[in-house]
Amino acid sequence: MILVAQASSMGFRWDWVGNNLDDIWDRTLEHIVLTSIAVGAGLVISVVLSLIALRWRPSYQPITWVTGILYTVPSLALFAFLVPITGLTITTAEIGLISYTLLILIRNIVTGIDEVPAEVLESAVGMGYTRRRRFIEIELPLALPVIVTGIRLATVTVIGLVTVTSLIGLGGLGFFILRGLQNFSSPIGTTQIIIGTLLSVVLAVVADLSLAGIERLLTPWRRRRLGT
Amino acid sequence: MIVLDAVTKRFPGTENPAVDQLSLSINEGEVVVLVGPSGCGKTTTLKMINRLIEPTGGRITVADQDILELPAHELRRGIGYVIQQIGLFPHRTIAENICTVPTLLGWSKQRIAERVDELTELVDLEPAMLQRYPAELSGGQRQRVGVARALAADPPVLLMDEPFGAVDPIVRGRLQEELLALQQTLHKTIVLVTHDIDEAIMLGDRVAILNVGGHLEQYDVPSEILREPVNPFVADFLGTDRGIKRLSLIPISSIELDRGPVVDHLASTETAREVMDEYDVDWAAIVEGERLRGWFSADDLANHAAVADIELRPFLTSLDITDSLRDALDVVVSTHTSVAAVLDGDRYLGMVTIDSISSEIVQ
Repeated sequence: MILVAQASSMGFRWDWVGNNLDDIWDRTLEHIVLTSIAVGAGLVISVVLSLIALRWRPSYQPITWVTGILYTVPSLALFAFLVPITGLTITTAEIGLISYTLLILIRNIVTGIDEVPAEVLESAVGMGYTRRRRFIEIELPLALPVIVTGIRLATVTVIGLVTVTSLIGLGGLGFFILRGLQNFSSPIGTTQIIIGTLLSVVLAVVADLSLAGIERLLTPWRRRRLGT
Repeated sequence: MIVLDAVTKRFPGTENPAVDQLSLSINEGEVVVLVGPSGCGKTTTLKMINRLIEPTGGRITVADQDILELPAHELRRGIGYVIQQIGLFPHRTIAENICTVPTLLGWSKQRIAERVDELTELVDLEPAMLQRYPAELSGGQRQRVGVARALAADPPVLLMDEPFGAVDPIVRGRLQEELLALQQTLHKTIVLVTHDIDEAIMLGDRVAILNVGGHLEQYDVPSEILREPVNPFVADFLGTDRGIKRLSLIPISSIELDRGPVVDHLASTETAREVMDEYDVDWAAIVEGERLRGWFSADDLANHAAVADIELRPFLTSLDITDSLRDALDVVVSTHTSVAAVLDGDRYLGMVTIDSISSEIVQ
């Protein structure tokens, strides 16, 4: 008995993992849901703000300025500021998470559209595209790779940040890290930290690769080049 | 077909207008080339026709309709547009690129597919290219696609902004010839901008030479401009070799050919010598019926008893009656005899001499 306990205290407690599979699965799902809402809502807001910035250029700088401040505010401070207003709710968590996506997404959307080659735009206008059709059929598809890069970056950032929202009780896999820190000296604590960290890293990698795959599917023209 | 009436473009924040009171009229089915140094407003002028640049004064009509009466995008769908960088849509296949305007116009799938096939053949594109993306094509192929795309909805007017400026000289020459061949069957009204006077002379039915500020210096057929530049600016722009440039516009058929030192293949050696003396040359050509057989030198003649016994030397180069005097000049200066034989198929027509060419230059 003593030997077994000693061995486990040094290592990873598989038995804890086996006993908590349901909980691990639920927290993983929660992590995915929190991330998806943040990136999805962040994307909607960013598209709207980007359209404003593209249509009316002078607004671009103030927009990046404000979202830049949101991006640099430490997340702990942001939650501390929000909890008195919105409480320990998903709203608080999402406001925090969304605000970190905006700068990345808006920058990539605007840059992506800006980088559409001038001669492509000129020929589109010269052949009789209306402004709206040109944006949807020419500019948006060509900006897609840069926009998707922004979405990938935002997603990976948010997956990392969700662990911090565990502090307000909505942490996805961060829940295990927080618990692990509370049980720091015990083997269960170590196991919890490892599981929480490992799974959120796996989640980030899987999300990044999936988005990269989706981008490849959506941009067949980028895979084929003369002489390659 | 296209009339510019005192058209002016003044860009905000600039002192002098880019184009100042320019009047120009372009007939249906003709190729008009706008040419001039940079800053002469040629591209600005072109872009005002399809309203990529809005004029600040004057009036432009296309097919008797004021271009301001239509919404700009509708006007543009009726005018083909080709630019130097081509501007193919990188995310669309060649077939999709070609049918851009028909798609905008809402043609049926069936009609679009038929049109793409027609155009593929017209601009001599391999059908296998159709499903590729622009990045997979060479510069010359892309340029052909650009032309096909501009022609897709069969617009009566084609605007071309330095269309061959970005391809290498060999491909450029071929594309220029293809455009001329295409125009033979299509009879579009084409306005083409270039900075290259040689391209202007080669492609233009008429050439408009513009000076800085969009001033029209001379507007005429190329041979007239070359023959008689109206002022020093035009003469300078044409270059000191304008006389030689003009030769490329004059077909050999328009000058009188010299019979040349030619004898029948059965002629006697005496006759041959007489002909050589008459022309003051040391060689003579042999014809059999209407066919040119070759030539022999005075030395060959001295060593043989009869003209028929001489082993003839072939003419290394000869000219076709459809060639220009410029081609003739190239041949004449590269042969030691200073003449070139002109053929119509197999039939011998006569000789071009350096004198007959230079008399055209000084005219």
